[in-house]
Amino acid sequence: MTDETTSDTETDDARTDGSGIVAPDDETPTWHERKKRAQGLSRLTYEYFERARREDQDLRQESDYVERDVLAFPTWPHEVIRNLAIASFFVGMLLFLSATLPPHIGDPANPSSTPAIILPDWYLYWSFGLLKLGPLNPELSILGGQKLMADRTYGVLANLVVVGIVAIVPFLNKGSARRPVEQPFWAAVGVGGVIFAFTISVYSAKNLLPMNVDLAFDLAFLLPIVGGFITWAVLKTMREGYMYDLNRRYYRLRPPK
Amino acid sequence: MADEFVKGLGIFTGGGLAWMVLAGWYRTPSFESSQQLVAPISIGDSATMFDSLGVLLMDALFWFTVIGALTFWVGIPLIRQAREAIEERAQ
Repeated sequence: MTDETTSDTETDDARTDGSGIVAPDDETPTWHERKKRAQGLSRLTYEYFERARREDQDLRQESDYVERDVLAFPTWPHEVIRNLAIASFFVGMLLFLSATLPPHIGDPANPSSTPAIILPDWYLYWSFGLLKLGPLNPELSILGGQKLMADRTYGVLANLVVVGIVAIVPFLNKGSARRPVEQPFWAAVGVGGVIFAFTISVYSAKNLLPMNVDLAFDLAFLLPIVGGFITWAVLKTMREGYMYDLNRRYYRLRPPK
Repeated sequence: MADEFVKGLGIFTGGGLAWMVLAGWYRTPSFESSQQLVAPISIGDSATMFDSLGVLLMDALFWFTVIGALTFWVGIPLIRQAREAIEERAQ
């Protein structure tokens, strides 16, 4: 669990798997910690990670390896069986759906008629939505109520800004966190970004939306904030049961000799 | 708790898949129309007993999907919580 246990592997009689009836003093939960884990989401998280730790411990006890050799689970059978199960499921689902619901082949597209709705491919909807940020383009009183640039220029600039921010994030956050629980703030930023990508995609088809366009525009910016805040709050709650060392052990690099 | 969740999820996905296939047969005039899976039921004159059985099964599966999932995700937990609350109050 801790570095204490890991360094014990050097000696002969020490257990290599972190098992033992009595927990070391620094691992014994205080009464305050026990109380915090007693109910709700923190209890669920605690039980999940405790169970994962226990399975890991059993695996190590059965294994021939000593801990310093185990950097991850072996590919066979763990990874291969899981991947085969997943692949079999999706192949079976493809066969089932293509057998039961065969779609007919439609007429070829007519190149001489322009469709009523023009949209890019779905994975570019977010960029298309950013081109429609005209309401955010300020009318400057210093220019006599004129806009500094045309709405379409503003939309292109918005694309540059958003892509720039996405490109900067890896340089801002260089942490070693492996799971969202470890860094709730950055996880919330990520969830907010995903929700914004979705809302701005919906807004890109605003002429098809069966709702008030102004409301959709406001929601496109408010929903990411709300979703990010909820994520942050949930992850903050989950931290109480989370064991940081459990996760880090699998990814630890072999120390230099 | 997790067991009840996965039971509900199994009913929801399994029943929903079977309903989707049957609705694709009987309630989808075309895969390019804007009314898919929800169009009025259209059985031709050449409908056999199996077609009417399929339509019946489609409706049954739809309500099984909705009610089954609600039972395991809402109903049973609600009953358990209520029972616990009653027992706590009795003590």
